[in-house]
Amino acid sequence: MDKTILVVEDQDDLRLLVRLSLKSLGRIVLASSAAEGLELVRAEKPDLVTLDVWLGKGDSGLDVCRAIKSDPETQHVKVLLLSACGQQSDVEAGLAAGADHYVVKPFSPQSLGEAAAALLAA
Amino acid sequence: MIDCFHMLASPLPPEEAHRLQVLPDLDILDTAPEERFDRITRMVARLFGVPVAMVSVIDAGRQWFKSRVGLPSVQAGGTNAFCAHTILQDGLVVVEDAHCDARFADDPLVTAHGARFYAGCALAAPDGSRIGTVCILDEVPRTLDEDQRALLRDLAGMVADEIAAGELRRAHERRSENDAWLYGLLEHIPDGVLMLDRAGTVICGNPAAEHMFGSDTGGLAGRMACALLGADAALLLDPEHSPDAPPQEGGGRRLDGSAFPIEVKVAPMCLAGQQRYAVIVRDVTRQHELVQRNRATEERRRKHFTTATHELRTPMASILGFSELLLNRDFDLATSRELLDIVHRQAGRLVDLINQLLDLSRIEAGGTDGLAVATVDVAELIDQTLTGLNGLGQNHRIRVELEDGLPAIAADAFKMQQALTNLVSNAIKYSDDGTQIDISTAALRRNAKLMVAIRVADRGIGMTPEQQAHIYDAFYRAGESQNVQGSGLGMTIFKEIIELHGGHADIESRPGAGTAVTLWLPALPDHG
Repeated sequence: MDKTILVVEDQDDLRLLVRLSLKSLGRIVLASSAAEGLELVRAEKPDLVTLDVWLGKGDSGLDVCRAIKSDPETQHVKVLLLSACGQQSDVEAGLAAGADHYVVKPFSPQSLGEAAAALLAA
Repeated sequence: MIDCFHMLASPLPPEEAHRLQVLPDLDILDTAPEERFDRITRMVARLFGVPVAMVSVIDAGRQWFKSRVGLPSVQAGGTNAFCAHTILQDGLVVVEDAHCDARFADDPLVTAHGARFYAGCALAAPDGSRIGTVCILDEVPRTLDEDQRALLRDLAGMVADEIAAGELRRAHERRSENDAWLYGLLEHIPDGVLMLDRAGTVICGNPAAEHMFGSDTGGLAGRMACALLGADAALLLDPEHSPDAPPQEGGGRRLDGSAFPIEVKVAPMCLAGQQRYAVIVRDVTRQHELVQRNRATEERRRKHFTTATHELRTPMASILGFSELLLNRDFDLATSRELLDIVHRQAGRLVDLINQLLDLSRIEAGGTDGLAVATVDVAELIDQTLTGLNGLGQNHRIRVELEDGLPAIAADAFKMQQALTNLVSNAIKYSDDGTQIDISTAALRRNAKLMVAIRVADRGIGMTPEQQAHIYDAFYRAGESQNVQGSGLGMTIFKEIIELHGGHADIESRPGAGTAVTLWLPALPDHG
């Protein structure tokens, strides 16, 4: 069965980069804000969400992650956080918010693809 | 009359060394004659009907006369044998006829000056040391009955009392002087000092303490120190507390109830048999503020660093990611070009960011010392700013309206142009092509100072009050930031530059209506 991957990223270029990196793994759905992302998680029930941490306008991907993981309808959805904040404390905060994986920008598209594939296979 | 006498070797009292040590402290040797002694000496001479009477002090190698009747010299070398014997004992020495006494027959007083009769009594210092004599001499043999002997002893006692009184007065003077110093010290030191009784009640406080706690003079007496110092009584009132212990931090409470941070040192003491505590209180509000300010600066720096790192990683993610895709996958020509274009654009953005960050840190580090200030013509500044935009804004209608006779400003022309460029390019970036941007100038008085105002107004997307509040934050970008080129440092740099020039900016903005920023800079006084 084809997997669905939701990419939540507020920057156009990076949204495109993530889409190209993951497109061989399944159907890609795109969102550019926290609100749109949450709406699409509920509507699409994706297998995996890649979530930018700083979503602009003060929105945080961590909040979106917590919302996904606290909703019984969506808590099974795998969440991969993507962030330019790469300190140990940032990674710990991401995992504490319920993320299944944390990738620091800049990232290798191939590595991102492998990480996403592993999450989808789990 | 007896003129002067020089002495043979005389016996020395056993406590001679101590006696000689006490003498200078009495402040009597070599002092001017004093009526309080002279009147006793005159009385002695008259009462006993003798030609010579004296109050003598026996110093090392000499006899000095504090008061004398019938003696022309104020001192004699050595000590005569009569006085030398007198000072050896507490009682009276009476020599009725020196010619009949082998101890004195050879004394120059007798052989050269014709002395026959001597009666003397040792003079005692307040500590009991015998320091001299009160004595009488006559050229004829005499006797003294018991009443006369008692009278001479009493008169010697009166002289001793006068010496003791002088000593007391000097001690009192010394003490008053000490008290004045101490009082002045307590009066003027900036630290508060409180004296507490054993129960922790304030007995008194110095003016600094009263001022610190907002009290009138004397208003702290009777108050409980624990309430003022916000300290635990057990901690404060420990008789074993070491004054060497580091100061305790506490929360001071003024009489009006307001709180302030203090540092307290306690020194337990025993005064006149009573347990007392001296408390030194220091208001550390300023130190706390400094620490907090430093902490805030540190926090701001840390946040700035984190944000800068984040902002640098974002274009790098595009550059690294897309270049890897281009290397590993086969895209059609159009897609390849599109991805390369992104790499190129993001690399440019990265360079911009680095340059702006360096600019900002240079401006911050350089302060006003880093400014190359010269007289700058505002019209020229605006003209050069617009020329320097290099085609940015060519699709906008930029209208410049300059007031006549505008005063010049003192500014670093290069940096001021950078500030103005950031302002104008923001107006361009946040408004649609084809819309108008107005740049106008004015000279106005603000707070009695002549200021030059440069106003840049766009008809762009505008800002909410919330967005306006963040306009100077580093990396903050209003609105749909991703569609707007820029580092997010433009307004931060703008603010740094104008503040270094003693200027400031006003912002008027409404979402959908546009933004107007008015930059105020101090005018040079003599404009032509």
